[in-house]
Amino acid sequence: MSSLTYVRGYLVRLLIITGCLSALISWYFVSPQADTAFTELNIMNMNISLFTLFVGIITISARYIRTIKAREKYWPYQLYAMVLMILWVIMGTTVGLFSDFYQTAYLSTKITLHIAILGQIVFFMASGAYRVFRIRNLRTAIFAIGAATLCALNAPWIAIPFPQLDPFREWLLSHPGMAPGRGIMIAGAIGACALGIRVFLGLEKGALRVTEAA
Amino acid sequence: MVFEGLGNGSAMIPIILSEVGQFLRTGRSFQLLLVFVLGILITVSYFLGRRGKLWEIRPLEALEAIWEGVGRCAEMGRPVMILPGISGLGSPETLAGLTIFGEVAQRSAEIGVTPISSASSSEVILASEAIIRSAFTSAGKPELYATGKYVRWFGGDQFSYAVGAAGQVIADKPGMCLQIGYFLFDVIVAAETGSRVGSIQIGGTLGSLNMLAMFCDYVFIGEEIYAASASISRDKMATATIAGQDWVKLIVIVLLIVGAILGLAGNTDLYKLMGM
Repeated sequence: MSSLTYVRGYLVRLLIITGCLSALISWYFVSPQADTAFTELNIMNMNISLFTLFVGIITISARYIRTIKAREKYWPYQLYAMVLMILWVIMGTTVGLFSDFYQTAYLSTKITLHIAILGQIVFFMASGAYRVFRIRNLRTAIFAIGAATLCALNAPWIAIPFPQLDPFREWLLSHPGMAPGRGIMIAGAIGACALGIRVFLGLEKGALRVTEAA
Repeated sequence: MVFEGLGNGSAMIPIILSEVGQFLRTGRSFQLLLVFVLGILITVSYFLGRRGKLWEIRPLEALEAIWEGVGRCAEMGRPVMILPGISGLGSPETLAGLTIFGEVAQRSAEIGVTPISSASSSEVILASEAIIRSAFTSAGKPELYATGKYVRWFGGDQFSYAVGAAGQVIADKPGMCLQIGYFLFDVIVAAETGSRVGSIQIGGTLGSLNMLAMFCDYVFIGEEIYAASASISRDKMATATIAGQDWVKLIVIVLLIVGAILGLAGNTDLYKLMGM
């Protein structure tokens, strides 16, 4: 057995089982040893995640530089992104992440862009709602009427002059709306536990499949 | 523990329970019991599966639509886009999404459809790269794989990922967009863009299911993503574990009904027991 097969076949699984067991023991039992093991593994996980961030930046840079050199489609945007990435790294390392200058620059760009995207989302939701709430049969009619009622009862031009409708809106949200939502969450939690057990048993092929085939 | 001087065995039980109780964290005993029961039932169903017991699983419409979508992509000469969401590898939804991703990528690679993807978390990006490499290798076409060609990263922020994925949809015009994993509001941007380029939309998540359902043609509702991840590989052993999962759901449904009846009768014993 080669050392690589050993690492991929056994060591990775051993680490996963140790990590899962330490997390479970630490959650359910008072055990300082399990707490320490879980914290250590968590720190290792964070370090690996941080390392993958560098790999992500290297990948994106390699791709963008190739596109810019070949003057492929959208190359000016990618040049702009590359210049900004370098500028932000220089700025962060020179003035510090928590300096007023950096924070102002960061918030005034990021928050502005976020708000722009949120504005776009409103139109996307309206477009999606138009497609979804079209009445085709009895089931979609009930669905559309329920949605239209909730929209109307949340709109200030109806909710403010008719405050007596508020209990009906509350009832719609907290009874027919909440119950299936909780049902989905409970079933989802059971499904997540089952997935965890499949990972334990080596049946879940997701990311682990990669280590076997690579 | 010192048990000297105890006259009979029954007197030891409260002492043992008290000692065990000191090791258990308060309010988590019932949770532990439920996880323990879940583990036993899933292991039982797994071993029954190993002994030849075949479990009938209800066909998932969305799962069937995935294979139709891959075929549609092949006919149209368009790529298939798979988005595993904005969470890291610690999320069970992302893990389930990656399993489906692997199977779809492999089928796509086999019939000459290009699988493309993007994710928010850099660790998921690496996993996705490895999955696509593995898919091309398994399909006997390792020469087609190139790092950064199929999987793109637009940053760790939720919205930068969403806008990047939407841009990728516009640029590549996939025939099918598969969004299975952990999503928040970002799903609206990518999914609506997918609708506009005429791709089949198939989605599955837990928290933002309502938003995802607005834009998708087929949806995995809640835990169906976990059932799909177990049954997509057609592995009998993985499918058998769904039976154990269903037994636990039955127990939970019984608990819900009994709890509701007791609650209406003014009895809170079950509620207190679950909070132990």
